[in-house]
Amino acid sequence: MSAALLVAALRDPASVAGLSGAQWNALIAAARAERLIGTLAFRLEGVAVPPAVRPILADARFDAAREAQTALWEADRAAAALAPLAIPVILLKGTAYAAAGLLAAPLSPALGRFIGDLDILVPRDALDAVEAALLDAGWEWVKPDPYDDAYYRQWMHELPPLIHRDRDRMIDVHHTILPLTARPKPDIAAMIAASIALPGGLRILSLEHRVCHAAAHLLADGDLAGGLRNLWDIHCLCSASGAAQEDFTLSLMEEAARHDLAAPVARALRLAHHLYGTPVKAYSAPISLDLRLRPSDRLFLTRLLARDGWGRETHKALRQLFYVRSHLLRMPPPMLARHLLTKWRKGHRPG
Amino acid sequence: MKHRIALTIGPASFRIGAAWRAPVARLAALYHDYPAPPGGIADFTVRLDPVRPWRRYIRPSIHITGDHGLADAAPMALAHGLLAAEMGMNLQMALGWRRHLLLHAACVEKDGRALLMTGESGSGKSTLAAMLGERGWRFMGDEFALLDPATGAVHAFPRLISLKNSAIAAMEAQVADAARFGPLLRGTAKGDIRHLRPRADAIARMDRPATPALLLFPRYGQPVDIRPVDPGECFMRLTQASTNYTALGEAGFDCLSRFVQTIPAQAIDFPDGNSALALVDDLWNALR
Amino acid sequence: MRGAMTSLPHYRAIPATDLVIRPLADITLLYHRPSGQTHMVASPVPEILAALGAHPLDSHAIHARLATCYDLGDPDEARAAIATHLAEMAALGLIRAA
Repeated sequence: MSAALLVAALRDPASVAGLSGAQWNALIAAARAERLIGTLAFRLEGVAVPPAVRPILADARFDAAREAQTALWEADRAAAALAPLAIPVILLKGTAYAAAGLLAAPLSPALGRFIGDLDILVPRDALDAVEAALLDAGWEWVKPDPYDDAYYRQWMHELPPLIHRDRDRMIDVHHTILPLTARPKPDIAAMIAASIALPGGLRILSLEHRVCHAAAHLLADGDLAGGLRNLWDIHCLCSASGAAQEDFTLSLMEEAARHDLAAPVARALRLAHHLYGTPVKAYSAPISLDLRLRPSDRLFLTRLLARDGWGRETHKALRQLFYVRSHLLRMPPPMLARHLLTKWRKGHRPG
Repeated sequence: MKHRIALTIGPASFRIGAAWRAPVARLAALYHDYPAPPGGIADFTVRLDPVRPWRRYIRPSIHITGDHGLADAAPMALAHGLLAAEMGMNLQMALGWRRHLLLHAACVEKDGRALLMTGESGSGKSTLAAMLGERGWRFMGDEFALLDPATGAVHAFPRLISLKNSAIAAMEAQVADAARFGPLLRGTAKGDIRHLRPRADAIARMDRPATPALLLFPRYGQPVDIRPVDPGECFMRLTQASTNYTALGEAGFDCLSRFVQTIPAQAIDFPDGNSALALVDDLWNALR
Repeated sequence: MRGAMTSLPHYRAIPATDLVIRPLADITLLYHRPSGQTHMVASPVPEILAALGAHPLDSHAIHARLATCYDLGDPDEARAAIATHLAEMAALGLIRAA
């Protein structure tokens, strides 16, 4: 179980002392497969590692730094394109961490983090104007597939993905943090109102809402692919704030309850606490937060750690279960059946 | 994985795992003289998995993947397993290598100075490098030339030479040692392919870099012609011939802009191998 | 439209440390550090970059500066061409709209 090696190395960098060559190979393969190699490289900075490992980690740090720079530039271009609209533009996920990382925190999720597409959140009533402004500034639709397009516009929490014709980078424009069909209904206007301005005009969600979003994305929306990375984000966000603010966990759980996300946030905290030792406090009053694992958490842990020494995913049946679960969470069952039928006819397979 | 091998090629090391014995046995025979990764720790993992679990046994079909993979990579027949492993290693280099600027180029060395040849598949660069490698030059690679951003030196990546179609018979006539050849792979996406292990000196000296001296853009199957290529065109063509130029950022820019400003470049057209060898001789001797 | 002169967009240079400029024989290579992008440009782009400073200028002012060193031909055509270049350079982040 190479994912367990990865979790141990992230949690306690000194634990890599004495790893065999085969274990290093397994650790590196798992870290690459989970897209946590950059994070691992920063965690192991200054830790004694075999000579053959050093350049691998140096390359990963180099990639992560360039990745962050490119992501921030993409955010800058989106900000330039949307500036005339005078609306709040909120960076989400990886780019938000990179931008917030500039405000500095001792354990920032930005350190070495993989960043894929640019995710932004804008007010829903500005969506048409945002779409027009982006198309005008060189972004284009990725795939003109009528079913997918209709599906996104009708049911999802984002526009169909756009890609910039010169820079070849994708942007996902969200107007809320969960699909409209999902059961929890976060109060997105309140989240936008509580967002924090960055130098340069862009914004990020408040710390509590960043954790809520990461947990919602991990548990209420996704199929747990990339779950270890999402949980590491949550671990870093909670660790950074815990030092700065008394009772952060309490204010986090209050916000989670207010946005209908108490269950996924509590589960994310239990899993992060168990895997990474995230310093969160248990409460019984005024809000109950019990950090002991529940039986169902074991299933999540098995899924999160399902990777062998060659970086391959294991537990195929369990992964399939989570894939179906992720759709159940997003859509009422009849709608799900219709969606899966359409997808399978086109040869899509999970994993 | 059930069948596995680990090996070092130039500055890079790989561990390759396969669901079948045959591709690993072929690799073991042809890469016999290549060292194991230092400390048993490889830079990259390559996996040859069945495309579906049952396809390990029924109409075996290989999915090439590893640390880096392509979502739309076409599956390959088990009979082409050696080619799949080679492609798997190339894929890791192309997508994951950061310690040098990677140029899609063949490279040979003489007296510490390197001749680089870049061009599309079918340009003749691979065959030309193989021929020069049997004629007093040290073969440094037929796929990637690795430029060191710190020194400007070129490093060798002398994996097996991938001979295609008519080049197979041409090299069979020039190389006496049959043990250096892999199996003839018929009907691949690029026609017939047969792998050739570089000469022993190319493997023994693969750690030694060389100073770039000449860049050629060869084109096979044309009447003889020589045309100088100016630095601007060179820069543009080499950025297109590099898989990691963008990933290296400013280091790649510095390395490549210095390269095109200091290394003379010529486009050469030739109808056959012998006229290519004569052209290379003339241009190389004219350097001094 | 009131006062065509005042409605022209103004631009200023980006910090000199954001750009690496390397002239080759007949083209110029630009490495733009914030984006990590390389641009191959020809005249008059390097000249426009050299003419711009921290002080915002419009296409007419840049034309006036360049005209002292280069023969730019018909002034109206040259100004229009410069204005087009400026907009493209700003989209790439090589200069900033002021």
